[in-house]
Amino acid sequence: MAETTITHAAPFARYSLRARTPQALEQVTGLKLPRKINNARGDVICLGPDEWLALLPDGAKLNMGDGLPVSIADISYRQIGIVIEGPRAVELIAAGCPLDVARIPVGYATRTIFELVEIILWRQAETRIHIEVWRSFAPWLCEALQRSSVD
Amino acid sequence: MFLIHCPYCDEKRPENEFAYAGEAHIARPADPSALDDKDWESYLYIRANPRGRHHERWRHIHGCGRFFNAVRDTVSDKFESTYKAGEPRK
Ligand SMILES: [Zn+2]
Repeated sequence: MAETTITHAAPFARYSLRARTPQALEQVTGLKLPRKINNARGDVICLGPDEWLALLPDGAKLNMGDGLPVSIADISYRQIGIVIEGPRAVELIAAGCPLDVARIPVGYATRTIFELVEIILWRQAETRIHIEVWRSFAPWLCEALQRSSVD
Repeated sequence: MFLIHCPYCDEKRPENEFAYAGEAHIARPADPSALDDKDWESYLYIRANPRGRHHERWRHIHGCGRFFNAVRDTVSDKFESTYKAGEPRK
């Protein structure tokens, strides 16, 4: 059986995008934003009614919209990405996440928790889940995922 | 584990993604300096604390991040409904 791997994702330019409307952010950044909460479109996730997370290629720069009623913040170094890939990907996350992970469709992405640690979970394929986690929680989370993979 | 319907995500989500935030529909006084101590005490500290149907605020803090309102029975602990902040009392 193919192995399930837990690896660090490549570095991203991460931007937190906040505004009352997605149109305001699209005008400033030129990005296309998903409209449905808890869904990803391209490399942008809609986390809430006024909040998006963009995971852009490392080094990408966005127009910050100075003076406009938008909040665009570079959070590249606040969190890291962890990729879980393989036939047991869902099972490893389900060990600590209270969502019904097996029923989450591909393209679904949401903020949630793993045990007591807040994460962003993005199902990129049937057997591939991308996790974003704040740096200080990452060593614990990696350890917990490793342990659930040998259980 | 409870599942709570978040009116913004429009999904039932596990209770440990949520935080309780006290009684709902308590408006902050528009002109605080016009209040005497008694009114201020009542605004800050006095709550209905009913046995039964209770209107309360919740926040989907480990989810979409939004505050919303809920009607919950304090005896059975069952949620009757949830609705977006700013919508009229149910
Ligand atoms: Zn929500």
